[in-house]
Amino acid sequence: MAKSGLGCEPAVGSLTASRKREYKVSNRVHEGKRPLYAIAFNFIDARYYDIFATVGGNRVTVYRCLEGGLIAVLQAYVDEEKDESFYTLSWACDIDGTPFLVAGGSNGIIRVINAGTEKIHKSFVGHGDSVNEIRTQALKPSLVVSASKDESVRLWNLHTGICILIFAGAGGHRNEVLSVDFHPSDIYRIASCGMDNTVRIWSMKEFWTYVEKSFTWTDLPSKFPTKYVQFPVFIASVHCNYVDCTRWLGDFVLSKSVDNEIVLWEPKTKEQSPGEGAVDILQKYPVPECDIWFIKFSCDFHYNSAAIGNREGKIFVWELQSSPPGLIARLSHAQCKSPIRQTAMSFDGSTILSCCEDGSIWRWDTVS
Amino acid sequence: MPGLPLAVRETTNYGCSCSQSRTDQMCRQQSRVRLSAEEQLAAEESLSVYCKPVELYNILQRRAIQSPSFLQRCLQYKIQAKRKRRIQITISLIGGQNAEVGERIFPFYVLLARPIDDTVAKHSSAYRLSHPRVLNNFNEFGKKDETEATFVIPDIKKLTTDARVNNLNIIVVSKGELKGGSGENHLLKEHEALSSFLKCEGNCFWGKIPVDSLCLSLEKCVTLSLGHRTDMLSAVNMQRSIVQPKYLDRNDCILFQTQDMDSTSTFQVQVSICAQEVAAIETSPYDFYSYDDIPTSSLPHVIRLRTGNVLFNYRYYNNLLQKTEVTEDFSCPFCLVKCASFKGLSFHLNSSHDLFNFEFWVTEEYQAVNVSVRTDMWRSEVVPDGIDPRVQTFFYRSNFKRRRRSKNSVQAASHVHPHVLVSPEAAIEGSHEEYDNNGTCSSQRPHAYTADTSLTNGCNDGGSYKDDVKSRKSLVRGAQLLPTKNKFENGPQHRHAEEYSGHVLSSPDTTGVCGSTTQASTSNDFAQQASGINLASQNMLQFAKMRKISDERADPRNRALLQKRQFFHSHRAQPMALEQVFADRDSEDEVDDDIADFEDRRMLDDFVDVTKDEKQIMHLWNSFVRKQRVLADGHIPWACEAFSQLHGQNLVRSPALIWCWKLFMIKLWNHSLLDARTMNNCSLILERCANENLVPKQS
Repeated sequence: MAKSGLGCEPAVGSLTASRKREYKVSNRVHEGKRPLYAIAFNFIDARYYDIFATVGGNRVTVYRCLEGGLIAVLQAYVDEEKDESFYTLSWACDIDGTPFLVAGGSNGIIRVINAGTEKIHKSFVGHGDSVNEIRTQALKPSLVVSASKDESVRLWNLHTGICILIFAGAGGHRNEVLSVDFHPSDIYRIASCGMDNTVRIWSMKEFWTYVEKSFTWTDLPSKFPTKYVQFPVFIASVHCNYVDCTRWLGDFVLSKSVDNEIVLWEPKTKEQSPGEGAVDILQKYPVPECDIWFIKFSCDFHYNSAAIGNREGKIFVWELQSSPPGLIARLSHAQCKSPIRQTAMSFDGSTILSCCEDGSIWRWDTVS
Repeated sequence: MPGLPLAVRETTNYGCSCSQSRTDQMCRQQSRVRLSAEEQLAAEESLSVYCKPVELYNILQRRAIQSPSFLQRCLQYKIQAKRKRRIQITISLIGGQNAEVGERIFPFYVLLARPIDDTVAKHSSAYRLSHPRVLNNFNEFGKKDETEATFVIPDIKKLTTDARVNNLNIIVVSKGELKGGSGENHLLKEHEALSSFLKCEGNCFWGKIPVDSLCLSLEKCVTLSLGHRTDMLSAVNMQRSIVQPKYLDRNDCILFQTQDMDSTSTFQVQVSICAQEVAAIETSPYDFYSYDDIPTSSLPHVIRLRTGNVLFNYRYYNNLLQKTEVTEDFSCPFCLVKCASFKGLSFHLNSSHDLFNFEFWVTEEYQAVNVSVRTDMWRSEVVPDGIDPRVQTFFYRSNFKRRRRSKNSVQAASHVHPHVLVSPEAAIEGSHEEYDNNGTCSSQRPHAYTADTSLTNGCNDGGSYKDDVKSRKSLVRGAQLLPTKNKFENGPQHRHAEEYSGHVLSSPDTTGVCGSTTQASTSNDFAQQASGINLASQNMLQFAKMRKISDERADPRNRALLQKRQFFHSHRAQPMALEQVFADRDSEDEVDDDIADFEDRRMLDDFVDVTKDEKQIMHLWNSFVRKQRVLADGHIPWACEAFSQLHGQNLVRSPALIWCWKLFMIKLWNHSLLDARTMNNCSLILERCANENLVPKQS
């Protein structure tokens, strides 16, 4: 499906670091023995750009990045279910701007925590199996989308607690959905990917009335006419193994599989015949020793750079928007040896956090 | 909003209803709505909601002057590219002056070419080609097709200074032998012309006109820069040579190998060259007016006709009123930035002014934008002086510290209270009571993880770290950062986390329970009999009886059981409310008609060999069959009649649809699903519909 031929080869980044920016370890925190699966800065609210949260086991912890490499714990939540293991979290907010933490994991129940009252705002039941990723619609931060092992993607309204849409069915994923992302400007568009090796692009343009309806719904949430979106507008076979992370870069898509690289490609959809189209692979960002699944990358607010950890505890920082891609830095530390599941880049990329399988959080800061 | 106000515009064509309705939609006039004085005040007030965002955007715009955004730089480039002057060169052959050459020089190719340096052979020259044109006739009266070749080249200044465009040549090639084929060469597109040119390699005559020398003669013409046309004649020496397409890396290179140089192999062609300076921008005659010259009455008319003019309708007072403005050159009304095109303007507005909603309209007459203030995302970000918005939600609170302070220090209270008062989040209320009562808070003890000394390359050493802590103390409202190296598990916060888990993570009963187990337990009385070997009728009878009895008897117990646990919708897996559990309706086999219709239409759209009308009939029929549950063959005759009845009015209005429907019925008849009599009935129904349609017209 991917186009190939003269002049169509993707630009592959070189692994020699340009040293445009230098990072140094400034702190390390051990949260416990249990693996940490997700870490994320709050990009939803400009007041809290230095606040981040982690999930691991049945615990959600909120921290603040202080100057001089300090990390302060602000809040900690423990789920009542002992066997819960959170896999993902996302920052969101209510219509009035109260920050929300949305976490999901092995139990398939999505917990929405009001960080203002430090109480559970809502619990979303619906997914039939574990939740692998949750993302927030930055244009409407009370909308979140969740990707699940039950082969579906669901769109939720945090404000009213409604499951608005379910992206699954005849044209849906054929195995676990591992990652999902909202298009940055096209509010109708999402991309999802998973263990069926495909990336699917969905449009909810025809279903947008239901999204609007969900904001004004006053009846019981369970009475809301939840709709199934059965057919994606595009199915891309870019990878030939599990696709465990996908992000939009403008109209292009960044996605990674377990073959040691992140791929930037352009989906060329056809307006008249949905489901068909071609893929143009533009760039590749090699990440050595990154061949286990469930390793996710993160980007700074403007998607200028991306950071990704690998199986050996190293972090690769790529310049995303240059061609050919340039490696900004390769971060490694003698004591950081366990796989890094997720990184978090701060607003301007000056701080990189990583959470490891051994339960440690590492903080890297730029050296000026 | 610094555009040109359009309030003076009167709705002069009041009587003309047709165009009025659209105009009305586009530019609803304020004068139409009669307002009382009170309402006018309120309207004024609602207009003032524009002030704040506009003010904000003015500030942002001033900042953006230094470093314009990427979009703005792109649009600026587009504007510059539009205004760039270029020279248009037209080349033709005039019959009278080329009499001795005659018709045999056609097809006559004219191309832009640049020599390639790596020419090895002495008698050959290689060129890279572009923009091939074909001349098939002399430029004479009465012959219109393919008598001219037109190129657009950069202006003289650029040609003489820019290295990338110098050395440009206009190459003319004649393939006299191919005269017979010229008839087929008519109306070739550019790439076809190139390929047809490259195809016929072999002998030809060719000559070149260096653009440099052309420039020299053009520079002398003063009138060129004034927009006048310059004509000149140029004699081109045509040499006999062999053409070889040369595929280097691209297939647009060609090699001319010159053969023996004698007088028979060369001849001269008189080529007429016209040069004219053009700007890519299209100017309309209305652009030359300045607003001062025209009377106010015709102002709106002129304003509408300028290409770069955009109408902005600002909606206010619950969309009842609007204020209209016009901007020129696709300018943004908020920051006066020029946006090159309507598309560029729409991108700019959506990306830079997201506090407003925009609707974009384009008709033959107008380009208009309806603007309204967004209300959905509107929340006040105004923070009182002296308050750090960053600590409105997240801040350090010390269990340990505060307890001590509240006992013996008034100062401590003064630390805490203002904080409570200023945080507007209703969120904090939960912990307020505890604050006020005894100063304890059920929250996390503050805790800062400091640089672990075991990290060899950590950038903090002990000394600077302590200073840092001191300086930070004041910043975080008296909460102390304890320089501990506690592991998370062992720290006091662990205890806290446990405390928390009690009341924070209270959740609904979410353990999924399958509904069938409940049913089994309530109906196990007759389940045995149902699985027995009794006759079906007997079984059914007993079943009904039993249910009646068990319903009466077990109802309270049943209800209690149903209340005990959570049930879920089978399709969406959403929790069911109690009333839904007891309701008669079940979600099990619900068909979502809206979505089914949408998917059906989408499926039909995939067909490429089906006409629009056929798709329409297919869709109507599929939808009808689904809604009416037409399942068996025997239902078809009824369905056809009902369908004719239901959609009769629509069908008779378009003959194409009725034709499709009749064909479909014939198909059904072919398959013996429909009898002739029913078909006749359907025809009668449709006829009646047609007559009903006609009657009101005649009367």
